[in-house]
Amino acid sequence: MSQPPRDLRAINAGQSVADHATRLDGLEKATGAARYGRDQIKKDMLWVRLIRCPWGRASLDSLDRDAALATPGVVEVVVSGDAGEYHGDSIGYVVARNRRALERGLQALDATWTRLDCKTGILDDEKARAPMGDPSAETAKAIDDAAFTFEATYSTPVQTHSSLETHGLMIEPDGENSIVHASTQGTFVVADQIGRFLGKPRSKIIIDCEHVGGGFGSKFQIGKEGAAGGLAAKTSGEAVYSFCDREEEHLDTGNRPSLLCKVRLGHDADGTIRGARFETFGGTGVSRRGGGARVPSGRFEFGTLDSPNHQDIQFNAGGPRAMRAPGCPQGAFVEELLIDEIAHRCGLDPLALRRRLDDSERRQRMYDVAADLIGWENRADTGSQTGTMRTGYGIGTCHWGKGRAPAKIEVVVHPDGHLEVRTGTQDIGTGQRTAMAALVAARIGVPLANISVAIGNSMLPAGPASGGSVCTPSTAPAAMAAADLARERILAGVAEREKLDADRLTIDDGVIMEGGRKVIRWEDACRRLSEPVSVTGEFDGQASAHWGEGSSEGVQAARVEVDCETGQIFVRDVIAIQSCGLPLVRKTAESQIMGGVIQGTSYALFEEQVLDPGTGAVLNANFENYKILGSEDCPRIVPVLWRDDQTGVRALGEPPVVPTAAAIANAVFNAIGRPVRDLPLRPDRVLAALAEPMAERVVAAAPRNADLENRA
Amino acid sequence: MNGGGPTIIGPLPAKTSLQVNGRQLDFVAEPATTLLEALREQCDVTGPKEVCDRAACGGCTVLLDERPVASCMMLALDATDRKITTVEGIGSVDAPDPLQMAMAEFDAMQCGFCTPGVVTAAKALLIQNPRPNLDEIRAALSGNLCRCGTYPNIFNAVLVASGQEPVEEPTDRGRSASGERA
Repeated sequence: MSQPPRDLRAINAGQSVADHATRLDGLEKATGAARYGRDQIKKDMLWVRLIRCPWGRASLDSLDRDAALATPGVVEVVVSGDAGEYHGDSIGYVVARNRRALERGLQALDATWTRLDCKTGILDDEKARAPMGDPSAETAKAIDDAAFTFEATYSTPVQTHSSLETHGLMIEPDGENSIVHASTQGTFVVADQIGRFLGKPRSKIIIDCEHVGGGFGSKFQIGKEGAAGGLAAKTSGEAVYSFCDREEEHLDTGNRPSLLCKVRLGHDADGTIRGARFETFGGTGVSRRGGGARVPSGRFEFGTLDSPNHQDIQFNAGGPRAMRAPGCPQGAFVEELLIDEIAHRCGLDPLALRRRLDDSERRQRMYDVAADLIGWENRADTGSQTGTMRTGYGIGTCHWGKGRAPAKIEVVVHPDGHLEVRTGTQDIGTGQRTAMAALVAARIGVPLANISVAIGNSMLPAGPASGGSVCTPSTAPAAMAAADLARERILAGVAEREKLDADRLTIDDGVIMEGGRKVIRWEDACRRLSEPVSVTGEFDGQASAHWGEGSSEGVQAARVEVDCETGQIFVRDVIAIQSCGLPLVRKTAESQIMGGVIQGTSYALFEEQVLDPGTGAVLNANFENYKILGSEDCPRIVPVLWRDDQTGVRALGEPPVVPTAAAIANAVFNAIGRPVRDLPLRPDRVLAALAEPMAERVVAAAPRNADLENRA
Repeated sequence: MNGGGPTIIGPLPAKTSLQVNGRQLDFVAEPATTLLEALREQCDVTGPKEVCDRAACGGCTVLLDERPVASCMMLALDATDRKITTVEGIGSVDAPDPLQMAMAEFDAMQCGFCTPGVVTAAKALLIQNPRPNLDEIRAALSGNLCRCGTYPNIFNAVLVASGQEPVEEPTDRGRSASGERA
């Protein structure tokens, strides 16, 4: 950009590979030029829509296939089932020449259903309603030996991914090939899956996902909408457009599963936890698995543990898919609120208790910075406030690993000095294309303006899907290797021509130097190339220096205000400190942390899929009644990139979403003196909590800040 | 035409004209076609996005004579005599509007699917109120959902595009967070 760089968030200055780089496709996105899968609209393409069950469980009585086929513009009606196991379950699909014909065809089908009994949540299952099981003898003894016992039950709702670009794909014939414009987190996953439906070998399939409108874990597989699109394309030989609408997106493209967690533990007067039993129940809808929650996380010392005791509970709803740190935000909510409840019972500052129970040296330092930045010294004792507006402070934590997978990055050096970075991996908004360009530019020593990126296409070198914190950590070493090869290649030519030692040459801002002496500009050196030079860097999927060992830690601190007349919570500030390893592009790294905090805040306050217990119908499969956080609700966020001595590139998509809801729930507890143990923290729940007695204390409160003084 | 009475259009597809980004676009569509469908499916103007299709998200926002509307909630026929501006009409990659430049500079997007609607709504705000404060920006964008979570950067982009300083966040206090430098 032409303006001088503004040093917002100076705390993060100077840590990343590219501190002032802006997203390469920023202007494309801001001007509407970026074309997504859903924008691949052709006048003569076919439209596909699934025929879906309208109730929690139902059998199909009748369906007028002939009437649908007789509707002008309808070209195909495929019915492959006669029952639905959840609202949104599909029994076939309709193909039509345009959107209106499709809608009329679905109406003409006039499907009639008999509604059947269904289950709509974890508590419909008697296993989840049963009293807690007995702990193992060892844990039971530890709990009994403790001075106090504590029991509580926590719950979290189903959260839908709510990608703004819905799931789906557009397929167009191109000679013998099929070009598939997919909204996906996995270019090469789609390439592997769609052929079966298209009836084409992998070699005749090209996936394009240059821009993807949101992916938070649900866009790996092609889904039913993709399969139907593939089949329709095979049958017709024409271009086919098969995307979910907003309702379908909320019904049948996965979700973060609900959780019920029961805890019994024994603790001493000083907050030491001697033993604990956790029972978790994950709501997996019709799926058999995927409801696991990471609780306890291992971050805190719980004494003799009786865990895991997990059961996935099935009922009549769409099943889960991975969602941004699967199992972790719900687990963190339970565990962190539990820690704060114990701290309150013992009259302790919850931050002080965390410091005792948490053996991560890195998080200990993060606690100091988080407390400083949020103003922890202004925190009133839990339950000490009166009046309508009450302020609360809370802390949440996370830890995170990262994954690795083979990745290739190609760099093409053109004779004009321009560099083209080529990678088939997708950029779902993480800033992957910008990260790769910035890394290659910095590694070679040329300005970022010299680089362009071709990304999100299966004809480009293979790379991992965006998930499991694999993508950036695995592609970065490949990009570094490719950059090194390109650099060596050009420097070798210069050394030979100029009779210099290649090892003594450096490249600084596009100028090749020997010692302090300018030898030749990068562009001029490249001009000697007779043709573009292609090099490919590979990451083999094994741990290496560039991939980097170690773990990511995070601490978030929240300040909230609670209106005790309406029960409304206002999240004012969130400090989000996150291990980042070597950050590649500061702005996009900060954006990822902020995005995690915003989704976490939304999860804490608003998000909840609601099923009608009578019919099993989802009552809020839309954006009017399924509320996600908007501009008026957005807190002030301070994202802190915490590098320490970590040299490898670490993932930032998943971990920042983990601690937020926990920190907010703790801040609410601090403000009102009663825990709200169920997410989302709805106004009615806050008011119900306020109608309860103040949370119990078993030990008198220590003098304010005594613990901090002791530490000093 | 039925001499004397009101013009009857439809139910069959009818010739329709829209004034979009300074160009006249002619197409034939059913009268039930929404403005959003007409733009995307008939006119190849795909900046406005179909996200919720019922005015709950702001992804389809366009300007109608400089006022923001949800193009999914009005018929194309009701917009035939209006000046329609989409995100493409506000500026292009080669000739971006200062607002679009600020959006890029402040990384006010991740996946970018909400961005056309955000830019259009923010542009409408700046036309009405050339120096909005933070509260006014929040209110003007309250109909635009962003799932990736970029609101703070959007606020700064709008502030800077209107010649104001971005909101500083408290920082440094003399050291980097972990006590280390790059």
